[in-house]
Amino acid sequence: MRDDRKDEMGRRHFFRALGGGSVAAAAAITAQPMIATPAQAYDPGAEETKARYRESDHVKAFYRTNGYETLKKN
Amino acid sequence: MARMKFLCDADRCIECNACVTACKNEHEVPWGINRRRVVTLNDGKPGERSVSMACMHCTDAPCAAVCPVNCFYTTADAVVLHSKDICIGCGYCFYACPFGAPQYPKVGNFGSRGKMDKCTYCAGGPEADFSTIEYEKYGSNRLAEGKLPLCAEMCSTKALLAGDGEMIAQIYKQRVIKRGYGSGAWGWKTAYRETVAI
Repeated sequence: MRDDRKDEMGRRHFFRALGGGSVAAAAAITAQPMIATPAQAYDPGAEETKARYRESDHVKAFYRTNGYETLKKN
Repeated sequence: MARMKFLCDADRCIECNACVTACKNEHEVPWGINRRRVVTLNDGKPGERSVSMACMHCTDAPCAAVCPVNCFYTTADAVVLHSKDICIGCGYCFYACPFGAPQYPKVGNFGSRGKMDKCTYCAGGPEADFSTIEYEKYGSNRLAEGKLPLCAEMCSTKALLAGDGEMIAQIYKQRVIKRGYGSGAWGWKTAYRETVAI
């Protein structure tokens, strides 16, 4: 049974070949010069960070109804 | 420049959870995520207190400080928002947040998490205002409509205040002057004498 598969690549040979290949690939990557890129905070742009709040009549009504001023009798 | 803030008047909150329901409905928040929730202290005992909690839109937000991909940004009106396109769902912000605001959808087995979701102060996200994609990711953008967060507008006892920080501080001061604070507001010590600590 064992002799039948002698010409094929065995499990151990396969992993050995794979390991050798990855070492070569890693060496190729490290041979390239490292270029440092500065860390950048996310900036969605001026349009998306602009103030959206405005004191509309709707908002004024909220402030008015939440204050005690409404309890005062005229 | 107005700074957007939440203030929950704990002497008024009756734990009705209208704010939680309003938020979930307005933004179509998926099952399992609560952008806002009501926390009750000393539940069932004299002097119990409920507070409606969500993202407090901190000035120096700890979530933004720990985010490894810098997905947070603060708008000109001091609302802390984040980009779900950049978020990797790592969960650091959840550990950093003192209010437990960041939430994560469960997207699969073995506890895998999706993109972080939190209160947006009803101000949408980095996508164009009123766009479908903004609504799907972050919910409605009421602030751009000239409105305030629906949780505060919906509050049945007007406990939850939202809006310009200076304005809501004035409203709260006015309330404290008028009715008192803590025991003074509810009269716990009148009912339970000195046995209650508030």
